[in-house]
Amino acid sequence: MAPKDKKMVLPLSVMGRQDVGRLLREVETLNEFLRQSAIRQSDNTVKMPTTSRFMDEIVQINELNPLMEVDRKTLIDFLTTIRTKAPVLHMSFNADPSPLFSQKLMTWLRKEIHPQVLLQTGLQPNIGAGCVVRTDSKYFDFSMRHHFTEKRSVLIQKIKGEK
Amino acid sequence: MNSGQLFLILGSLAAATASFVWMALRTTVTPVKEADILQDSEHDVEHIFNNEFRELLRNRGRLLFEKIISENAMFLQQDLRLTTSQLNEYMKDEITKKLQEEFIKYEQSIADAKNLAVDSITKTQKIMEEQRQQMSQKLTEEITKEKARLLKNFEENMADIVNHYVLAAVGDQIDLNDQLEYILSDLETNKQAIIKDITDGA
Repeated sequence: MAPKDKKMVLPLSVMGRQDVGRLLREVETLNEFLRQSAIRQSDNTVKMPTTSRFMDEIVQINELNPLMEVDRKTLIDFLTTIRTKAPVLHMSFNADPSPLFSQKLMTWLRKEIHPQVLLQTGLQPNIGAGCVVRTDSKYFDFSMRHHFTEKRSVLIQKIKGEK
Repeated sequence: MNSGQLFLILGSLAAATASFVWMALRTTVTPVKEADILQDSEHDVEHIFNNEFRELLRNRGRLLFEKIISENAMFLQQDLRLTTSQLNEYMKDEITKKLQEEFIKYEQSIADAKNLAVDSITKTQKIMEEQRQQMSQKLTEEITKEKARLLKNFEENMADIVNHYVLAAVGDQIDLNDQLEYILSDLETNKQAIIKDITDGA
């Protein structure tokens, strides 16, 4: 059973809201399964549902016991809160990010921005390099195209031959 | 004076005296009757103006008439020639004068037409020159505007042009993992703004 004063942590592999939703459905399914198993006769052999990697990680990190109803409820509440209230960052890159890249990025985001921040990645090949970050109300352009736009005066000076 | 001459003078004097005497004798003869005189006159007339003499006079008169006619004809011809000559001269002068007047008028008309044409050509040239200057000025303005527009577009889209060029040149060689440090650096720079936005939004 998880200590009461310990804050729940979201694994790095759980990045987006879809991952959270998938994990929540999985926990609810498990919870329903175990609840039904408790009602059912004990002489019947039942097969436990397989858990996903996300499930294993979040249970392991938060030291939860899925067989305990309290832990399952805690996990369900946590995941519900995360899905509805956790901040979401939309980041677009010029190519699909690799898992290693995503993990490093999430590590930094969870550490520096918000411990429960979710990330939704997109693809924008025309930005060249860098990324574009969009929050609920702001837009941050860290792309090479934007960098060139900001340095346009330098380019013009170079074209005109000015030093 | 020789004797021959003297003889001739004396002979003349003797002849004159004899004639004078004969004439005095004749005048002293008895008067002749008037009827006889008339008869004698008619007889003399008939004797003098006979047919032959009349024919002679007629021939002479005819010749004289022909001569007069011929002379008058000649005079008439001369007058006619003179008149014709004067008439030709007059006609020549008049025609020349008239032609000169007409030529002067014609030259004046040509000069007026020429001046009119020159004025028209000058005006046309002036208008064309003004239009050429206007077109040249307008063309220069349009070229300047187009040049400024192209330059402005180039400057505005320069970032995209360079970005497109970089992408085309080394786009497939830029790995996302290599950009992580750059991305994290940008995120670090704007961290507070992102946190504030997230916090306010939440």
